[in-house]
Amino acid sequence: MIRFTIDGQQVEVPEGTTVLRAADQAGIYIPRLCDHPSLTPYGGCRLCIVEVEGIPTLQTSCTLQARDGMVVYTNTPKVREAREFVLTMLFSERNHFCMYCQESGGDCELQSAAYGEDMTHWPIQPNWHPYPVDASHPDFVLDHNRCVLCRRCVRACAELVGNFTLNVRDRGSKTMIIADLDVPLGESSCINCGTCVQICPTGAFIDRHSAYLGLDAEVEQTPSVCVGCSVGCGIEIATRDNHLVRVDGDWEAPVNDGLLCEVGRYQPVRDERKRIVTPLIRKDGSLQEATWDEALNLVAEKLKSLAGRGSDGIAALASTRLPAEALYFFQQLFAEGLGSEMATSTDGHAARSVIVNGQAGSLEALKTADCVIVLGEDLVKDHQVAGFFVKRALPQGTRLIVIDSGENALHELANYSLRPRPETIRDLVAGILAASKGSDPSQPDVATTSQRTGVDADTIQAVAQVIALAQNPVFVCGAGAAEAAEELAKLATSFEIPVIGLGGGANSFAAAKYGLDKAFTVNGQQAAYLALGDDNPAQDLAQQLANVPFVAVQASYVSPVTDIADVVLPVEIWAELEGHYVNLEGRVQEARRALTPPAGVRSNTEVLQALAQRLGIALDGNWLAELGLETVVA
Amino acid sequence: MKAIRAMVLVSGDPASIAQGAHEVYQRLQKEIKAFGLQDEISVSMITDVGRHDALPMVIVYPEAVIYGPVKPEDVHFLVEEHLYKGRIATRLVAPKKELSGRIAWLAARQGTLPAEQRIVLERVGLIDPDEIEEYIVHGGYEALGKALTQMTPNEVIEEITQAGLRGRGGAGFPTGLKWRFVAREKRTPKYVICNADESEPGTFKDRLILEGDPHNVIEAMVITGYAVGANEGYVYVRGEYKLAQARLRKAIAQAREMGFLGKDIFGSGFDFDITVHAGAGAYVCGEETALIESLEGKRGEPRIRPPYPTTHGLWGMPTVVNNVETLANVPAIIRHGAEWYRGFGTENSPGTKLYTILGNVNETGLIEVPMGITLREVITIYGQGMKNGAAFKMAQTGGSSGSIVPASLQDTPMDFDSYARAGVSLGSGALLICDENTCVVDLARVLMNFFRYESCGKCTPCRVGTERAHQILTRITEGRGTLADLERLEKLSQGMRQLSNCGLGQAAAVPLQSMLQHFRAEVEAHIKLHVCPAGSCPMSSRRVTTAA
Repeated sequence: MIRFTIDGQQVEVPEGTTVLRAADQAGIYIPRLCDHPSLTPYGGCRLCIVEVEGIPTLQTSCTLQARDGMVVYTNTPKVREAREFVLTMLFSERNHFCMYCQESGGDCELQSAAYGEDMTHWPIQPNWHPYPVDASHPDFVLDHNRCVLCRRCVRACAELVGNFTLNVRDRGSKTMIIADLDVPLGESSCINCGTCVQICPTGAFIDRHSAYLGLDAEVEQTPSVCVGCSVGCGIEIATRDNHLVRVDGDWEAPVNDGLLCEVGRYQPVRDERKRIVTPLIRKDGSLQEATWDEALNLVAEKLKSLAGRGSDGIAALASTRLPAEALYFFQQLFAEGLGSEMATSTDGHAARSVIVNGQAGSLEALKTADCVIVLGEDLVKDHQVAGFFVKRALPQGTRLIVIDSGENALHELANYSLRPRPETIRDLVAGILAASKGSDPSQPDVATTSQRTGVDADTIQAVAQVIALAQNPVFVCGAGAAEAAEELAKLATSFEIPVIGLGGGANSFAAAKYGLDKAFTVNGQQAAYLALGDDNPAQDLAQQLANVPFVAVQASYVSPVTDIADVVLPVEIWAELEGHYVNLEGRVQEARRALTPPAGVRSNTEVLQALAQRLGIALDGNWLAELGLETVVA
Repeated sequence: MKAIRAMVLVSGDPASIAQGAHEVYQRLQKEIKAFGLQDEISVSMITDVGRHDALPMVIVYPEAVIYGPVKPEDVHFLVEEHLYKGRIATRLVAPKKELSGRIAWLAARQGTLPAEQRIVLERVGLIDPDEIEEYIVHGGYEALGKALTQMTPNEVIEEITQAGLRGRGGAGFPTGLKWRFVAREKRTPKYVICNADESEPGTFKDRLILEGDPHNVIEAMVITGYAVGANEGYVYVRGEYKLAQARLRKAIAQAREMGFLGKDIFGSGFDFDITVHAGAGAYVCGEETALIESLEGKRGEPRIRPPYPTTHGLWGMPTVVNNVETLANVPAIIRHGAEWYRGFGTENSPGTKLYTILGNVNETGLIEVPMGITLREVITIYGQGMKNGAAFKMAQTGGSSGSIVPASLQDTPMDFDSYARAGVSLGSGALLICDENTCVVDLARVLMNFFRYESCGKCTPCRVGTERAHQILTRITEGRGTLADLERLEKLSQGMRQLSNCGLGQAAAVPLQSMLQHFRAEVEAHIKLHVCPAGSCPMSSRRVTTAA
């Protein structure tokens, strides 16, 4: 530990801590623009300067490592004068007339820093040159007039997201933030993750969905968890007057370190689906409003009559966007209580691949991996935040091996890109295992594997070697690798490689643990119960249900499935519900209520409970214990 | 027994033969016999001598003197002078390969001070830079041999430290100390980088060293590598220096062939090799950490320091970055010893310094002079006085990043410490001599324009400060300045100097400070009287005259 003083206050921090971070921990605020806890120190803006006893020049605290006995001052006249100089420079650089900016009034770190120095004006003429505004992007606008060139966005795009879209053009005062080789943002390689918007200290990046809707001080922030996929990113839901304003990544969240993808950040605010707010019952061919009692009684009556019947009984499907509590009730109600042979979740067999080798690998492993082997999952499209961790490690020399028969954008970035023939992943993994072990008579040799899978023998050999020699290799497996689970487990065990299994939805892990992991099929069942929640049903689901005499749907939004339903039970959406989600690592996280649901809408658990009560089935609340987790990571 | 004491080669490529090489060859044999030298001198005809300007050529070893073009009727004179009497037949010596700049040599004069010392330029302009043999004949690679076979790395560093060699890139950091910092690092691989991104306006000393004597720099880099424990070297050459790059590449190939680069040099077990990397036109890449970023393929922006390149340089490994001129001193120091080197220059700044003189003087060009010479001496002796007899007003040192030195400091010794005491800096070695017709505000504006264009844009004080300062200076030269602008300039220069991340922004403040410190009256004349005393600013062509 390092002991030193800041402004007379004794501070103790671990070695390697910068003075700025130490000051933060001690509750002493040093203004800064380019620095951000998630980014490597840059030392560009020069606002965070401090005076250090024994060093004649002012030091940037963001790059200065704390040393024992150091005596730091953050507020001397010299420091304040220098800070004012830097602010003067920044204000005079571009158009920083605060009254015309949606960030001003607390959200803008530049303005707040100036207020902190009691600045009311800047003593140098402003630069009257107008800079372009890039409004080509669907989710945000880049106003170069407000840019202070701190490069937080550029560094975040590279260091955190690994997308390298944002960059810098020219130099000196002509410096401009650009996308790719200076194309409009909307036409660039941007993946709409919005990290740049979230990290921008000024009003240069303007969020189209939430601009002018509320400053940080005016909105309510509810920490919660994203239910977009099984990564389970920590989010901050910003709401105002029971309206969703914005979704931000939670910088403190252990899973995602503040990162979000398009699905987590923008899909919720772009959502324009029609909400269902009262129970509906089909009468005379059309859905008509009903009371909860009427609707629940009707469903209960129908289900009761089919209880215990096998293949011509009840087909039940639950979305993995439902909280674990609801999934557990669902399993008890349908699989156990009503004896349905087809009670499963929307992820079907994808859910099964989650737990290879009996345990879930931690995403943390990706941050130290020197070799990542991705099987059957396009991390550019799905589970994007996990993909960010992989992509951003590549410039540091992390080797990427991609095994996927289908389209996979990661193929382009891979050191070894293996495209086995469809349904031969299993053979390929077995072949790699054999090649990595030398000669094992029980395994097929490389030549046979090559012949069967269509992957070049040399490549198989090389990949086997890279895996065997890697210090910290990690497997990342998606649904496409489910068939090879057994071989993977062997390979993982023999080299002690952690396996990160990517389930489909937010609660795939829980669904699999509850046994809701069959592929959903309808084959002669007389009734179907669909607990969709706010999920978008699969495209062919309505079609699959066409011949089922009775369809009950528990859903938040109108969809093709509700259109054919006999009874619709309206439930809460993600931001309204309370419950728990178990991410792909087996980490149990709490989703908190940020919005009050419309009157007449019930929670998923309430609906299932009400049905169980009417059917005389007892439900227990042991959802956590039933997950069978040895240790619960919250 | 026949003891051959000299070898005469005649170029025998088709072009030479067409111009009478055969006759020359035959006449040589005849004349040598005539002088009775046939048992001590061999004559042979070779195919291609590597240059095609003055054909046919006759090359005499061991002196490696190249004669050309040699006509049959010249042969008698050549043999008599060189081979019989032992003097170089100056009249027939082939023209030297050209350099892209001029070296201002002083005519030899006895007892005139300061003596022109040639350490760095010892061979520049005198040998063929494309011929490693010529370099070797003039003592080349002797230092390397000495270092590798007779000295430990530590002794090499000690010698350089004792010599008191200081970095010639502008900062004057003790070279021995820098090497020691790298040598004591345990992590490998380590790197040696030669900073040849000479981008200071008006500075071309490094270019002429590389063009005229590339092997000197190569030899120095190998010695440096040996001293600090590095096996890999990079020369980061300014992109525009095409000729320097070509000569350097050729020299490296020759050195490799001769075993001065590559594996097991001089049988010492020490390996070293050099890669040439061309810059892409950014001034800031002359800053060592920006140079390293650029070498790594990234945008040329200076890094945060500390850590310094000595511990975290290229690819994060310990790295020595030395300027071309600094390195060019190394072989001579190793060859002659620290004591010898200390005989030149001043106590704290031993050795010589290269300057490029330009501006309003009669003679311009590159000079090598001992440290501690004064500006007055440079102007009168080397510059042959001011042009048109005008009065000396000020000198801009070091391209743009030095200071504006007023005439009042023209008798201050030009060495690191004396200049630092006077509050000015030597910079990289360009001396822009300005006469009374140069306006200081205009000069500052031009310099600031350079900085604002070359600022990398990473840190606020430099990126915005240079822009704002240029704006204000322009305003003053146009007669729109106010007295408050002087305060602003003061603040700007202070802020840039204190808060900039690298030397570029810090240096950008220096001309402003020099201007305000030494020429305030002239600046105020622009503002209060709307007059440019030097008569060069656009707002006024009126000169201030004493007549009422």
